[in-house]
Amino acid sequence: MAAPDPIPTAGGATPNRGAFPRTRRPQRDWTPWLAGALTVGVLLLFLVYPIFTTLASSFVPQGRALALQNLSLVNFERFFTSPLYQRAFVNSLVVSLSVTAIATLLALPAAHAMARVQIPARNLLMSLSVIPLIAPPFIGAYSWVILLGRSGIVTHYLDSWFGLSVPSIFGPFGIILALSLSYFPFVFLIVQGALAAADPFIEESANIMGASRWRILRTITFPLVIPSIASGALIVFIRSLGNVGVPAVLGGDYYVLPTLILFQVEGFFNLNGAAAIAMVNVLLVMAFLLLIRRFQGKKRYVTLTGTTRGARRSTRPLDVVLGSAYVWGLMFLALLPQILVVFSSFAERWAGTLFPTQYGLGNYRLILGSVLQPIVNSVTLAGVATVMALAFGLITAYVSLRKRFAGRWLIDLTVMLPFVLPGIVTGVAYLTTFNTGPLAMTGTAAILVFAYFVRRLAYAFRSISAAIGQVDTALEDASTICGASWGRTIRKVTVPLIAPGILAGGILVFSTLIGELSVTIMLFSGAWKTVSIAIFEYLTSYRTAPAAAMGTIVIVITLTLVFTASRLLRRGMADLFR
Amino acid sequence: MKQRDLRIRGLTKVFETSEGPVTAVKDVDLDISGDEFFSMLGPSGCGKTTTLRMISGLESITSGTIAFDGRNLSALPSSERNLGMVFQSYALFPHMTVFENAAYGLRLRKVSGRQIQDRVQPLLDALGLEGLQGRYPSDLSGGQQQRVSIARALAYDPDMFLLDEPLANLDAKLRVQMREEIRRIQKELGVLAVYVTHDQEEAMSVSDRIGIFRLGRLMQVGPPPEVYRRPTSLFVADFIGKINFFPAELETADAHGGRARLRSGVEMKVGHLERLDPDESVEYGIEAAAVVAVRPEHLRLAPDDAPDAPGTHGTVRRALFLGSIVRYFVICDDATKEVIVETPDPPTGVDEGSRVRVSFGPQHATCFRS
Repeated sequence: MAAPDPIPTAGGATPNRGAFPRTRRPQRDWTPWLAGALTVGVLLLFLVYPIFTTLASSFVPQGRALALQNLSLVNFERFFTSPLYQRAFVNSLVVSLSVTAIATLLALPAAHAMARVQIPARNLLMSLSVIPLIAPPFIGAYSWVILLGRSGIVTHYLDSWFGLSVPSIFGPFGIILALSLSYFPFVFLIVQGALAAADPFIEESANIMGASRWRILRTITFPLVIPSIASGALIVFIRSLGNVGVPAVLGGDYYVLPTLILFQVEGFFNLNGAAAIAMVNVLLVMAFLLLIRRFQGKKRYVTLTGTTRGARRSTRPLDVVLGSAYVWGLMFLALLPQILVVFSSFAERWAGTLFPTQYGLGNYRLILGSVLQPIVNSVTLAGVATVMALAFGLITAYVSLRKRFAGRWLIDLTVMLPFVLPGIVTGVAYLTTFNTGPLAMTGTAAILVFAYFVRRLAYAFRSISAAIGQVDTALEDASTICGASWGRTIRKVTVPLIAPGILAGGILVFSTLIGELSVTIMLFSGAWKTVSIAIFEYLTSYRTAPAAAMGTIVIVITLTLVFTASRLLRRGMADLFR
Repeated sequence: MKQRDLRIRGLTKVFETSEGPVTAVKDVDLDISGDEFFSMLGPSGCGKTTTLRMISGLESITSGTIAFDGRNLSALPSSERNLGMVFQSYALFPHMTVFENAAYGLRLRKVSGRQIQDRVQPLLDALGLEGLQGRYPSDLSGGQQQRVSIARALAYDPDMFLLDEPLANLDAKLRVQMREEIRRIQKELGVLAVYVTHDQEEAMSVSDRIGIFRLGRLMQVGPPPEVYRRPTSLFVADFIGKINFFPAELETADAHGGRARLRSGVEMKVGHLERLDPDESVEYGIEAAAVVAVRPEHLRLAPDDAPDAPGTHGTVRRALFLGSIVRYFVICDDATKEVIVETPDPPTGVDEGSRVRVSFGPQHATCFRS
């Protein structure tokens, strides 16, 4: 009996196997473990540890060491004894809840109109809607003074034409107005996306059964997007609760918790007091989170189906006219502050008159000497933090999505934690934790970079997770079968496939860090003054013209970045932010 | 008792696209009445779904009329047409329970809770959904979701029952079971049904009549046996089941058929005559004045050296044993393509590579001639 030809097999012991050398047999692939350990380590050091230090130091009186025998509730007592603290607490609640309610109410009709009515220039509108999210709200806040202040343009005409007066722009009215118009796009983008992705047959079948348009809206459309509305509202609430810039510019003596923290830190360097206020801030977020969960948690409605047909958009003239008027009107209002910033940056003489009396580039010449360093600082800090967030976000997202291990949910939760932490809280936590001790970083660039990194990690993680989720695991398996190691598979297969997702995440992180204020204001030092701090200092010393010039530069830089990214990725600007 | 009579005249739909107007449905005339189960069948893009959507009111009409019981529906919004519809994706309301989904139409009609219970529960039970009324759609299997969407569409006794490819998302076995169930409940409730599908077997098995669409036109309407046995166009002959085309010249014609001469010169008797559309003739590559169409099960095979009888000749390329039948692929110069022959009892002496004679009885042959 003739011996059969040897068939080359991967594990076989036939001596004359194929001409290709075998790949080195890995002893054991430790890379995922290393990556996992790195993830856990970094999260513990730069996120969990600062939060717990802050929590602990909020129970210690100012100036005392962190020790068991020093524990007391003195910092929290202020909320029961000091009228300033009590007012700030109530004000914060009033502002955040009002902003959340108003922003949501403004956004819902716009989202519905965008998804269900054929509105002219819809792509442009979608792109415009992200501008309020990129441009830091405090930069545009002063515009409301120009419009609605005591000698504001709108105030003047309201008075001379109708004899109407507006409430003072300094105080709750101005803060709520500015924040609502800055933050409504969060709800708008999420809800519009959900409406556009919904199965159109569901509404059609209700229609067939005899339901009127209003009835469908009330019993089908609205209930289905409640979870999306809740997500959007949650982001708005957290943002408005943690925003320090707008109340600092428009608050006057109307204190909210973030400005109270600023006051405690800048005035008295009372870190323990600030920590306590920050914890109250966190408590409020958690309370709201639990409230929102009631709307969100019950059931996840997966209505996406294989159908490629989108919902039909109405072309009835009445719908189009009303829808366009509303959406364009709202978008105009939301962009008005940014438009006015750019406009007033060209105003050379604007004193005591309704409109400027002389235009020119004077403001830009004025800041020429002082603008470069802050911009370089901002770009450097934001750039380093972005690269870190992307690298780390990639590893974390990969490990969390592709590797099965116990405690994976813990990593997900921890990474997303900064997402629900108001910015000012991160600032306080870093100031408290890294001020002294083995990791003293106060005053260095490093503390800003790490704070930025931690604060935006969730963005990078989400963008990259979404991209990885769309890569078929079979592609990676195929690479492994061919003999590639884990690291090589990631480098050669995964990363090239998800590069657009990484780039989108990077742009998102970078552009929102350029004008970051809530954390920066707690942690910056003279050597590392950022452009947002420079603008803030101009604004609070009422030198609004150079502030406008510098604000314009920030707006132009970030817009250019996002616009370029959307072109490169061939995705709508709005899609980068969803 | 309602009369129930759907009457469609000159129905036309033109879509305005960026590349100019596209006619999706052209001049469709159709009458459906009583508790008829009517299927609209055709390849994708043939206009069947657009026609159904115009009946439902979800799509506007470019021209023509749709009337039900003498009442013009064209001007009515779909919510006032009193229809029940099942969608391919089921379109169940994900935030409502099975019971609430099924009760939705009755709630819209302001029916009392007691009556809703009395109507919905038996319907759910009849559809095999007992005990599931409190579940959410996401907790149901595909087949169960399908049943819920049927219950939802029929709960309020609609005038018409419209189904848009309802079985496309189910696996093969469930499809067969569900189509029987759909027909059973449709006949039980005595509701007029319009069913859209691209699956000819499905259409043949459930329908009282079938309408075959092509490129926006209604090509032929009739009961399943009729459209199968007496196709009036090459398209219908080819689309429903399999068929063989033999280009020919019609020598003589009378009331009972005629005599056709195939390309090789063989003369065959044909039992039926139909008109040949010149466009179709070009499309199917018929370079002759007429074409004889015969189904695979009506062709007979015999060894080439068998006693002489009229027939064309060919060579068996492949014989497939399929259990109940044997299917032969025969290379034959007289046909447009390889001839397919199916027979339950294979003739002796016919194997792959054999020279064979292919013949047919006149009663099974239709000659299309211009």
